[in-house]
Amino acid sequence: MNTRQLVATMALLAGAASAAAAQTATQTVTFQVDAINQIAFAGSPSLVINAATAGSDPTSATAAATWAVTTNQTGAKITASIGSNMPAGLTLSADLSAPAGAASAGSQALSTTSTDLVTSITKLAQGALGVTYSLTATAAAGVVSSTTRTVTYTITGGT
Amino acid sequence: MGVILTQSRSWLIAALLLTGSRAAIAQTIAVSGNPGLLRINNAVAGSEPIAVTNGSTTYTVTTPAPNRTYKVTAQLNAAMPADVTLTATFAAPTGATSIGPVALDLTARDVVTGIPRNTNSTQGITYELSATVAAGVVTSSSRIVTLTIIRFP
Repeated sequence: MNTRQLVATMALLAGAASAAAAQTATQTVTFQVDAINQIAFAGSPSLVINAATAGSDPTSATAAATWAVTTNQTGAKITASIGSNMPAGLTLSADLSAPAGAASAGSQALSTTSTDLVTSITKLAQGALGVTYSLTATAAAGVVSSTTRTVTYTITGGT
Repeated sequence: MGVILTQSRSWLIAALLLTGSRAAIAQTIAVSGNPGLLRINNAVAGSEPIAVTNGSTTYTVTTPAPNRTYKVTAQLNAAMPADVTLTATFAAPTGATSIGPVALDLTARDVVTGIPRNTNSTQGITYELSATVAAGVVTSSSRIVTLTIIRFP
């Protein structure tokens, strides 16, 4: 190899080295996902009892609302309670439709003690679920003027 | 003959000097540091958890004079947990093109292409962490993102 060939070879090698050159930098990204349990209820239902079949207790009233849930845990549940007990002879109940894979307890009478309405809610995000409120009264309840109760729903995360 | 040999040696020296010069000004990339913790902790009921972003860091690229273009790639050292996605968006220097949001994984993914020669530019990096409810709870974890600047095409 003469001098010119040597130079040409070195130039080609240098070019190849340059073409293959790559520069790098690194970053460390730290992340986490916390337990998330969210519920929402829409609607302020109104229930009025104003009829009866002669010989029977007054006819119950129903009203609909909706609810939604997001949980990234396993086995979450929904409980409900009201701030003060219902007047004597009146019963307010709630029935929540279960999201996929969960279990609804069906219609449950509400009181100041929390009661389970939906259990086994696992890793889902689902909305537009139905809520049915029902108000029943016995004749012994008499006339009850308009009154309200706030229903507090709580989602308790699973594992 | 002696004159020709002398000229050839001069050419050789010049070529070596030129080669050394080129190596000294190769393309480079650097970052300003590490982003803060990306933490997902909220959702709107009925919807997937809310993604979080961090745009606190930057990268700086320099490219040499020869008439070539370069690109930046990004890749992770380990796969993300199932149903968790780390996305990066790199702002582009003048004359270059940002690919936009890129989900990062073990493969080197283009994030910026067409970086011209003679570029010395600092641009922003935005990371986004998203997760579905199926991901469950993910304890604090880290991934190393390797950024590489190479000639392209």
